[in-house]
Amino acid sequence: MEEYAREPCPWRIVDDCGGAFTMGAIGGGIFQAVKGFRNAPSGMNHRMRGSMTAIKTRAPQLGGSFAVWGGLFSMIDCGLVKVRGKEDPWNSITSGAMTGAILAARNGPVAMVGSAAMGGILLALIEGAGIMLSRFASSQFPTGPQFAEEPAPAPMPAAPFGDYRQYQ
Amino acid sequence: MPVAVAPYGQGQAQPSCFDRVKMGFMMGFAVGMAAGAMFGTFSCLRIGMRGRELMGGVGKTMMQSGGTFGTFMAIGMGIRC
Repeated sequence: MEEYAREPCPWRIVDDCGGAFTMGAIGGGIFQAVKGFRNAPSGMNHRMRGSMTAIKTRAPQLGGSFAVWGGLFSMIDCGLVKVRGKEDPWNSITSGAMTGAILAARNGPVAMVGSAAMGGILLALIEGAGIMLSRFASSQFPTGPQFAEEPAPAPMPAAPFGDYRQYQ
Repeated sequence: MPVAVAPYGQGQAQPSCFDRVKMGFMMGFAVGMAAGAMFGTFSCLRIGMRGRELMGGVGKTMMQSGGTFGTFMAIGMGIRC
């Protein structure tokens, strides 16, 4: 989710939310197909129907929870961009941790801390992988990271969130 | 894309869709392995695995979470190209 030119800030929330829903729905579809196939009673017909049922019930749920995560994550991310005035990996890590904490808020403070640690570690790993990948790519190709070179999005006429350069 | 802007051979070309998906999978797999190593160690220690059994349990968790993460990252790359 991280290593291409991202959308400018307010629209990033919508983008991440939708992307996360699609990702969760497709991925959940794949995994639930396998799971439903294995859990169904024997017989090809039953197995097909079992995997279909599992996809239909579980994949939208998984997509929904992915979408909640993604939407809240990028909302906090944009908030941090606005508050701190810069955009660096710490934003992602903090917002991952805060997302984990907020989504576990109804389970009590212990669960909140655990979930926040999980989110923070996960996002730190992803950010670290992205940084390492772009460093590796820029050392391999003399022109810099090829992956990040999407055509730059058209500059917004009036950027309400200030400057979005990457300050890494 | 015109050929004139490609002085570095194929390096200048945009990576193809499959390349991006592959890269996403590799990255997700690496991230998932690392995350699985951490969380797997905790959870296996918690349920009382020690020694050789612990190694097996952690390895299994690492492979599982690597596969899951890799698949999701690959999909995430695939839906955007």
